[in-house]
Amino acid sequence: MIKIAQLSCGTEYSSVQYEIEKAARSVGATIVHPDVSAGDIDKAVERFGFKPQSPQLKLMIARAVQLADRRYDADAVFIATCFRCAEGALVRNEVRRFIQDNTRLPVVTYSFTERLKAAQLLTRMEALVTIVTRKELLARERQTGITVGIDSGSSTTKAVVMIDNRIAGKDWTPSGDVIKSAEHVLENALKEAGVLMKDVEAIGTTGYGRFRLGKHYNAKLVQEELTTNSKGAVWLADRQRGEATILDIGGMDNKAITVRDGVPDNFTMGGICAGASGRFLEMVSKRLKIEVTELGALADNGNWRNAKMNSYCSVFGIQDLVTTLGDGKTFEDVAAAACHSVAEQVYEQQLQEIDVRHPIIQVGGTSLISGLVKAVGEVLGSTPIVPPNSQYIGAVGGAILSSGFLEGY
Amino acid sequence: MSSERETRLIVISPASDITPDQVTRTIHTMGKSVTVKEACYGAVLEGPRDTVLWVVSEIRKLDPNGIFTKVRAYQAGDPRRCRAHHGTRPGFAQLEQEWNDLWKIQYGLNCADRGDKASERKVREKLPVDIFKKICEVK
Amino acid sequence: MKVFIDPPNSLILFDLVERSGHEPLSSMAAIQEKIDKTEIDMPPMNVTLEDVMKGLKYAGIEVPSGIRGRLAVWGPMIEEAEAAVIMEDCPYSFGCVGCHRTNLMVRYLLKRRKIPILDVNYPNDEEEAKDLVVRMREFLGGLK
Repeated sequence: MIKIAQLSCGTEYSSVQYEIEKAARSVGATIVHPDVSAGDIDKAVERFGFKPQSPQLKLMIARAVQLADRRYDADAVFIATCFRCAEGALVRNEVRRFIQDNTRLPVVTYSFTERLKAAQLLTRMEALVTIVTRKELLARERQTGITVGIDSGSSTTKAVVMIDNRIAGKDWTPSGDVIKSAEHVLENALKEAGVLMKDVEAIGTTGYGRFRLGKHYNAKLVQEELTTNSKGAVWLADRQRGEATILDIGGMDNKAITVRDGVPDNFTMGGICAGASGRFLEMVSKRLKIEVTELGALADNGNWRNAKMNSYCSVFGIQDLVTTLGDGKTFEDVAAAACHSVAEQVYEQQLQEIDVRHPIIQVGGTSLISGLVKAVGEVLGSTPIVPPNSQYIGAVGGAILSSGFLEGY
Repeated sequence: MSSERETRLIVISPASDITPDQVTRTIHTMGKSVTVKEACYGAVLEGPRDTVLWVVSEIRKLDPNGIFTKVRAYQAGDPRRCRAHHGTRPGFAQLEQEWNDLWKIQYGLNCADRGDKASERKVREKLPVDIFKKICEVK
Repeated sequence: MKVFIDPPNSLILFDLVERSGHEPLSSMAAIQEKIDKTEIDMPPMNVTLEDVMKGLKYAGIEVPSGIRGRLAVWGPMIEEAEAAVIMEDCPYSFGCVGCHRTNLMVRYLLKRRKIPILDVNYPNDEEEAKDLVVRMREFLGGLK
């Protein structure tokens, strides 16, 4: 049984502790709480250096010190505090940093409200377990044989056929029915690769529809998108060794993942608000009566400073857009402002939860919106790498990792 | 008699001569329908509320100022709070700390029984700025 | 009389109040009431989403869920209290009293009720412990 150490404040009184434990159980893990005695607490807080007023946060620090000193054995760490608690947010992030500085345990942080349900944590918990249990598989750097990866995302469904470490066929479509969308893209990808379904040696599925597709195709690999996307991203960007940050501004939730030799060691996913996701850019394009694929080029020629769009909420964001257009601003400036607003919020929300490591690899469908990549570069002060086929990371990751099963993993 | 469940922690001051073993044996010999489990700090007592309260009042007689007690929300061995499954209870560190300091409270109770009065409360005031300024200016 | 103790899970305060013949209102009792409800299966404490929503009576939605959940559990007890003993400078208070902001709010809610309240400090030595016990006896003895 994989042991996930929980370092948290407020979970029991927020009615979410049960949900956390349920999510862990559903991926074959158990939540554990590192033992501390009264005498350990003051010493631990003194050593840590940050002295919170809330005793539960002191306990959280003392538990982190137990892990750092190897006085308590766990496989992964889940750090969580209440959403909107400033003291909790400061400690959460510093405890995460402390764990990373002192251990090699994979870490995920989360800021919860009382509405948290186990399903929202499932992907995160599954990723922690995958990192622990599939170390060898995740270390895989090459694809072998003929394998397929299917990524059933919230906005789009993608399929890739790989043959001997190269992409032989690929296709994507907006997500509709999970199975039908997958069948459609897979058929086209197979056609492009010139292979038949019976030739395919292994299939890997990922994304929201992974379980249904996994069952439908009898997939060898059914895996959450955090670890699968990381593998696809470092392979596509040819950054399999060393450190990197993977940034995926998705259709519904944004992911920021730090990797070491292609294996994630810390990740964060938007959970409470999707105001700064790719969906907002779709809404902007719709209002501008253009395709989302045209938004990037438009933004490249605009200046975000000319149009005020900095709302946290996508609804108010569209209201900003309407006002700005009413003021006679150009479509170019408005498109640039929309991209900048998303980049800024990703920086404010996701990237504050991890320590950004360079290079930054920007992936997912939104990485094709050049104006967004430019905006991320401006906000971070460093231009992200956008590898070729960056929208296919999940599918590529699925194809690479599933090929591991051909060699008896 | 109230049949509502009551779980009590019996906590012995570190300055008391009573041992957890004495507490549990004394409770056993009372022959009441309660369960008692020895613990490093004393014992966990459980049973119908009225019976538990009677046992507590009797057990206090062993050392009136050296035996302390409080309610515990969870039943003994409740899997929702069991140490074997969840590690130490969040309140355990606090209990440990309070247990450590019970000898002081025991002393306080002895003094109060003798009729001692409370001392004047000392209020620590800040040094007036003008005095502090003078101190800083002395060279 | 019903005497709210703060920290509400303190062994020392619970014991001293009970010794004086009063009924201590503690977090343990409030939690027991929740966890003994067998029809709810939300371990470990049976605090439900509805409870956290009830906390809106004491604090707005911009206040973290952990604070609202705690206030929902203790609020009825604060309303029921006829007196209170508040202990400052405690070197502990983990678990149910782990949130400093909640603790501030609980003390405020008690003071707002204008019931008799004794403010004491956690004792650092024997003399301070003597003062604590004597002052509590005087206060509790005077409650009618």
